[in-house]
This record gives sequence, structure tokens and C-alpha cells, in this order.
Amino acid sequence: MNIVSRAFDWIDHSTSQSSRVLARRTSRRSLLGRLGTMLVGMSALPLLPVARSLGAERVAEIGDPQSCDYWRYCALGGFLCTCCGGSVNACPPGAEPSPITWVGTCRNPVDDKDYLISYNDCCGKSTCGRCFCHRSEGDKPVYMPSKANDILWCFGTESHTYHCTVAVVMGEATNG
Amino acid sequence: MRSRIIFCLMLLAPMAHSVIEPETVGRTELKKPTPSWFIVKSSSGPAYLYDGADGEMLGLLSLTDWTPAVEPNVRRGEIYAAETYYSRGIRGERTDVVTVYDLKTLTPVAEIKVPNKIAALVPFRHYIGLLDDARHLAVFNLTPAQSVTIVDVRDRQFVGEISTPGCALIMPSPDRSFLMMCGDGSLQLIRLDRRGAEVARVRSDVFFSVEKDPIFDRPVKTDGGWSLVSFDGNVFDVSVEDDTINVSESWSILDKDKEEMAGWRIGGSQVMTLHRGTGLLYTLMHKGKKDTHDDAGTEIWVYDKQAKRRIGRIELKDPVRMLYVSQEDKPTLIVGTQAGKIQMFEGRALKLIRTIDQPGAYPGLLQGF
Repeated sequence: MNIVSRAFDWIDHSTSQSSRVLARRTSRRSLLGRLGTMLVGMSALPLLPVARSLGAERVAEIGDPQSCDYWRYCALGGFLCTCCGGSVNACPPGAEPSPITWVGTCRNPVDDKDYLISYNDCCGKSTCGRCFCHRSEGDKPVYMPSKANDILWCFGTESHTYHCTVAVVMGEATNG
Repeated sequence: MRSRIIFCLMLLAPMAHSVIEPETVGRTELKKPTPSWFIVKSSSGPAYLYDGADGEMLGLLSLTDWTPAVEPNVRRGEIYAAETYYSRGIRGERTDVVTVYDLKTLTPVAEIKVPNKIAALVPFRHYIGLLDDARHLAVFNLTPAQSVTIVDVRDRQFVGEISTPGCALIMPSPDRSFLMMCGDGSLQLIRLDRRGAEVARVRSDVFFSVEKDPIFDRPVKTDGGWSLVSFDGNVFDVSVEDDTINVSESWSILDKDKEEMAGWRIGGSQVMTLHRGTGLLYTLMHKGKKDTHDDAGTEIWVYDKQAKRRIGRIELKDPVRMLYVSQEDKPTLIVGTQAGKIQMFEGRALKLIRTIDQPGAYPGLLQGF
């Protein structure tokens, strides 16, 4: 038996042992579940065109989310969900968030940094009609839809009727 | 004696009553539209018809909340609206249609089913356009993929859908064609054949920068084509000749040599309007910085378009969001204020003629016939 054969034997033995240990500790369903989670997570990463920090820090901010002057609303056009039973990043009860959005770049007065803000319309209910807000920093005409706030962005939802808008921080904006 | 007189009067009373003819409830029909007619489209829902000659309301078109504008076809006595309906009001099955309204009665007379893709925008004039054959209607779709639906209003049928990636709006042009504005800073021309199928597609050179100085998506009809204005106030005239798109050299509404013009910007919702007969161009102005292109105007500036020179200005008591000038021989400038009122000015003397205090719920767009 030469040294190469011995090495293969050792690898076979080790792999076999490890597999048995793994099989004892985990079921197939849980393994597939974990693998699936990992794959979904990996596929989501390249979709976000922002600088992501691996930590789970929240953005430090000041201001009143029910006021149109709030820093996140710099390119928002619509009714504020914070006045309609939702929050700055959650739709009101029964309203469905649109997965397709327009984006703005807003400067946070706390750290003086620019952040990419996703304006998700909440859909499927009557127009809220409270706290109308219209700001146009970086807003572009309709032929540039991804930066146009004149569009009702209820796409990809069960009903396309517009209710209100949330402003979600996607991450720190990067130049270029 | 006195009691006899009273008795006689009592006998006469029912006779006097009986000579009044009881009224009946009738129905009003509209006459043929005149250039003084205009439409106040609500931000969501109905459109109110007015006659600018006396400021009286003529009637109302019931529309869905997702109908940004309508398109009149006076030749056929019809008005078209591209509309989205849900089977349960705001939910349920979606059905998109082009509704044909009779211009005399303002009631729907036909519906043409179209793909469920109609752009749901805030009030917006140029998402719908009738081509010069008065037969083919183009409707802008946004899903958010951009495309155009073609409808034959004569035969009442859906013709087809044309994919128009990167381009939006409908600007009808000669010989059954229309222009679109594109996100790369160019214009696109699409021409149809007699049956409404695409036969030509042409792109202009890139002539503006969407990042540095975008063109407003609010074009204004001229005699030979369209007038466009940028956020910084640069005006372009565009026209179509055969399959060529002509774009003029730009001129600025802001004269850099005039100090009094410094700091002013064009802005609002309907930022510019043109009286084609006289060449009077009206722009909605405010003092502001970059990114204030949606702000209401505090003044209206009037230009001789041919001479590219400002010849007048109106200082506004109430900030204004919308401008529209009638195409009568004597133009009437009609404006929508931020407070939701409609005001009319004599188009040459620039004097306030009248105010409509209650023009209908939330005016969002002014348009003519």
C-alpha cells in the first residue's frame, strides 16, 4: 500500500464518520431547509444595489415620521402610512406592500450620510387620504419610471389600488 | 257684505291655482363643443366640463379613480377614457377597457376590452392620444414595463400592443404616428399602417440629459409638432417629417443677462401652455432651487414664442399648479390654483376675468377639446 492509497483510505474513513455524525444530528428535512435558506439568502444579496453592512445596526435618526419634512421622505409623493395605521416601514392592517418600488437618495441629518430609500406603495385598500406629502428631490419624469414619484407603484400585488406609502432604508448609498 | 267678498275670493282661489302648468323633469343634451369648452379632471375620479365663455359647468363624466385623462374626438362626437375597473370596487378581478362616451349625453356607449396594463398615474394628459386619422387611439401601459395599446375606435376593437422599452407618453404626429420621450434623452417615433399595426420605428439623436436637465413630461402641442421644456427652462421644438424626427436648437426662457430673472424656475403640474394662433407662450414660474420642479407658481410669464422674448407677467395672489390656454381667437388663460380653485384671465391683457370657487373635487388637470 503506497502513501497515496493510505491517504485515500483516511479520507474515506473520515468522510464516512462525519456523514454518520451529521445524519444522527440532523434530519434530511432540516438539512434541506437550511440549505434552502442559505440559497435564498445568497440569491437576494445581489438584488440590492446598496452598500450592506453585515451587522444589524439600525440607522440613527431624528424627526417626526408623520411629518412630510422627515428626512426619509425627500422623494416621496403620496400619503404617509405612518398616519394611516402603519409605520415608516410597515403597511397598515390589511394593505399589501408592493414589491416593486421607486427609489430616492436622502441625506440623514444625524450622520450627514446619503441613504438609499425604497418607497413602497401599500395597496389593495382605498386611498388613505391622510398626511399627503409631495417632495421631489431627485424626482425624474415618467419616462424614467424608477425615479418617478408621479406613478402609482402598486405592481405585483393582488389589487393595484393605492393606499399609502412607506419609506424603507435599504442601506448607505454608494457613489457610482 | 264683507263675508260675501271673502266667500267669493275663496271660490276664485282654486281657479287661480289651476292655471299653473305643472313642470316635468327633462334631460339636458350638449351642443357641439366650442373652443371655449374645457375639462377639469379631478385628481381621482370624474371630469367636469365647463364653458370658459361664462364659467358655467356643462356636465360631468363619471370615471374611475385610475383614469388620468380623457381624449375627445369631436369629429365622431365622442370622448375616450382608458379605465381600470375592479369587480369589487377596489379589489376583485381587474378589467381594463377603453370606454367610449357620447359627447351629447356624456354616457358610455361602448367598451373596448384592452390588456390589463393601463398606466395608473396621477392626472396626466399624454398617456392617451388619438392619432390624426381620428380612428386609432394609443394608450400608454406601465407594468412597470412600458408599452402602448392600440385601439380602433371606429370598429370598436383592440388592435394590438406595441412594446416600447424605455419610452413613455403619446404625442400624436402626422400620418398615423406618435412620438414618445425616452429615458436615454431621445425621442422615439412609431408609425402605424391603416389597420393599426406598427410599420416604422425611428429614434432621434440624444438631445438632453435626464440626469443633468430632464425634459418635463408635459409636452405642448404646436402647429407643426410639439414644444418641450426642460427643468432648467430650455425650450425645444420637435416635429416629424416622413420618418425623420427634427429637434430644434434650444432657447432659454431665463435670460441670463437679466438680473431680475435670476433665481426663478419653471415648475408646477402643468408648467407651460401655448396659444397657437398668436404664438403666446405662458410659463408657470417660482423662485426656487434645483429639485423644486413640482412647486406651485407664484407668477405666470408670457412670451412671444416667435421672438423668444418675454412680453408680460402676472403676479399671482394664489399659487397656481396648472396652466391651460383656450385656442379661441381671443385666448382665455385658465389656471388651477393650489387651493383648488379655477381662475380665468384674458389671454392678452392678462386681467382676471372670473374665478370658479367650487370647480369640483380636487382639480388635477386642465385640458381642452
